[in-house]
Amino acid sequence: MTPRWKFLFAGGLVFILLVALTFVPILRRRMKRAAKLQQQSEEQARRELTQPIAINPGDPRVKTKLFWASDTIDATLVPVSVDLPLSNDPVLRSKQVLNTLLAGPVDAELRTLPPDALLLAFYLLPDGTAIADFSEALANSVPSGIASEQLAVNSITRTLEANVPQVQRLKILIHGQEVETLAGHLDLTGAFVVNTKPAQTPVQIAPIAPGADKAAAPAPAPAPAALTPDKAPGRVAQPERKP
Amino acid sequence: MVVLDPAHGGTDPGARGTGGIRESEIVLSFAMEIRRALEQQGFQVVQTRQGNENPSFDDRSATANAQRGAVFVTLHISSTGLPGTVRVYVNSDLAPVAGSNGFIPWDRAQAPFLRLSRTFGDFVQGFLAQRFKGSPETAQTASVRQLRTTAAPAIAVEISSVTVEDRAELDRMAPGVADAIARGAAAFKPSYVVPSTSGALP
Repeated sequence: MTPRWKFLFAGGLVFILLVALTFVPILRRRMKRAAKLQQQSEEQARRELTQPIAINPGDPRVKTKLFWASDTIDATLVPVSVDLPLSNDPVLRSKQVLNTLLAGPVDAELRTLPPDALLLAFYLLPDGTAIADFSEALANSVPSGIASEQLAVNSITRTLEANVPQVQRLKILIHGQEVETLAGHLDLTGAFVVNTKPAQTPVQIAPIAPGADKAAAPAPAPAPAALTPDKAPGRVAQPERKP
Repeated sequence: MVVLDPAHGGTDPGARGTGGIRESEIVLSFAMEIRRALEQQGFQVVQTRQGNENPSFDDRSATANAQRGAVFVTLHISSTGLPGTVRVYVNSDLAPVAGSNGFIPWDRAQAPFLRLSRTFGDFVQGFLAQRFKGSPETAQTASVRQLRTTAAPAIAVEISSVTVEDRAELDRMAPGVADAIARGAAAFKPSYVVPSTSGALP
């Protein structure tokens, strides 16, 4: 290569470098702006799709029972009565009461559902099975634990039970998907029965004698008649496993 | 035999307190204490995890389902509730098992044991209520995922809570929780008749 070509080659490289230094930051700024616009439009679309069902003032006003946490008894729900104009259509009515439940009580401490959770969709099948699809915030923001997750689901099912008699069972989806648990504990693979509550059958416990902490003998609780499983169990079918 | 299940572990820390308390660590230390109390009562104990692993729900159930005549106790720390209280849960009602092929469906393995689980849970909750004021008198019902696939009398024990400022407050509860579970298991034992059918589980 002659010195003249070497000079031209070096000059070309310097030129390309200068162009890159000038335009790359501009390009990066434009890409960032485009990404932000796309994110904003997705968020906008999501919000438009999940607009809470507006209460129609023309609907008859109904005494609506909403179940939020008790301020006196731990892990317990109490009904709060609110007069709301509610649709007679069970799907619209369910959306109205659930959106009011999600909006929360006046005292934010008594919320049962995270403030950022949204009801994305609600369907009611002819057999009375309802499907409620909530945003991921329901699973991500609800406090993790059996008591708190059960309280969240109970507030939904009991509010539906009190206001929408057509709903017999409830299946909860998170962002359109079936998930195994709400936040690590509560089983979401099945449908919740909206109307029945299991009976409690307490067992009498003999009191522990003072200083008996280290005693070897267990407190003799009155043993019920010998129990066996409801049905003599056979082998347990193994779960399906992914390869 | 008692199968003890310290919940969570590995990449799943469970509930987390503001003071850095992690449910997965606390339940493991509780499990050690409960194991000692159960062994003193003459029980053989199997744990679903010994360290910071995170077996799946099914793997944990499989540990219990492989034992004959075992009871199952899964341990949790809540992120809400009155600190210093303890709640026992048994699984909600499950559709009855009506298989004609002699197999119990895995996803409803708890169904034939619900009545036994309720009795076991009420014994343990009764002893806990005597020690930890503000705890319920009887076991509660909840749709606990871990219990559903367990073919044994099975309970979940949830201690309140990771919101305590000092972990020592939880550690101080361990001996009382351990003693109540051991007493509950001992009280339940005479009422649990394990079927002698060949090949039956448990």
